[in-house]
Amino acid sequence: MSTSSTDAPELIPPEARERVGEVVATAVGTVERRDWQRWAVAVGEDNPLWFDADHARAHGYDDVVAPPLYVQYAVLGVTRLEELRADGSSGAASGNLAFPAAPKRMAGGESTAFHRPCYHRDEITMERRIDSIVQKQGRSGPFVLVTWRTTYTNQRDELVAEATTSMIARP
Amino acid sequence: MSQLHFEDVAVGDEITPLVVTPDETQLFLFSAATYNAHRIHYDKHWAREQEGYPDILVQGPLQSALLARSVTDWIGGEGRLLAFSAQNRAVAHPGQELTFGGRVAATRREGGRGVVDFELAGRRGDDVLMPGSATVSLPLREER
Repeated sequence: MSTSSTDAPELIPPEARERVGEVVATAVGTVERRDWQRWAVAVGEDNPLWFDADHARAHGYDDVVAPPLYVQYAVLGVTRLEELRADGSSGAASGNLAFPAAPKRMAGGESTAFHRPCYHRDEITMERRIDSIVQKQGRSGPFVLVTWRTTYTNQRDELVAEATTSMIARP
Repeated sequence: MSQLHFEDVAVGDEITPLVVTPDETQLFLFSAATYNAHRIHYDKHWAREQEGYPDILVQGPLQSALLARSVTDWIGGEGRLLAFSAQNRAVAHPGQELTFGGRVAATRREGGRGVVDFELAGRRGDDVLMPGSATVSLPLREER
């Protein structure tokens, strides 16, 4: 079954299509309390589990914990200014997939299973592979949907979280 | 605030909605906290001239973080977020009032805890910008 209409332009270059299944990013990062708290206040969070060690300990944790969704940011690396795309976005963690015919990118969605909490100074290892690249027809025209599968493990090789994330690229 | 227990929850219950109007400062801080230089979140000229939007965009990950926050705020310190998903369906701009919340879709007991599934949505008025779902575990009252 084709998901693109007969007159829709082909948006996925063959060299992108060939990379499905490839590990496109591995990264290691340290969970830092200050960094997750900066993230949390940007979200308007006031949940004491993220800020107050006594409160967290009283609720079954060993110490103050990171918000579950924060783990994806603990492994972010460094991108040189000249390596950013013209739109300012970084392709570093997604395999630098190029869609010249669909340059407008936006996050598609995310689905994550959380297996254990992250504590200050935990060392997280991320491995991300391309799960699929498909062209679809939306109400406002054709677009590319890229899906990645990502695992996060800690310094004890315990699985912390597993995520499926997606990105939409439009002409 | 008293802890929510599994016995307190029934299918169809609404979680307390989280109402937020993100502004440019919040967008900037979220981009900073996520090391995100994507221009559509701070460069109004780029957003308008290059991408055809009327204004800069609220980050999808900020909306999903707010949607998850509506759940973790509601389940309390003894609750655990087991799974969360969200899909970006439409864009939002700073200054727009967004509401994050949802309802209990299913409940079951598992290993001495209660497990609750939620259907979630981030909305602007009646428009669903971000459908999502979550699964949490809650303590049982009888275990305490």
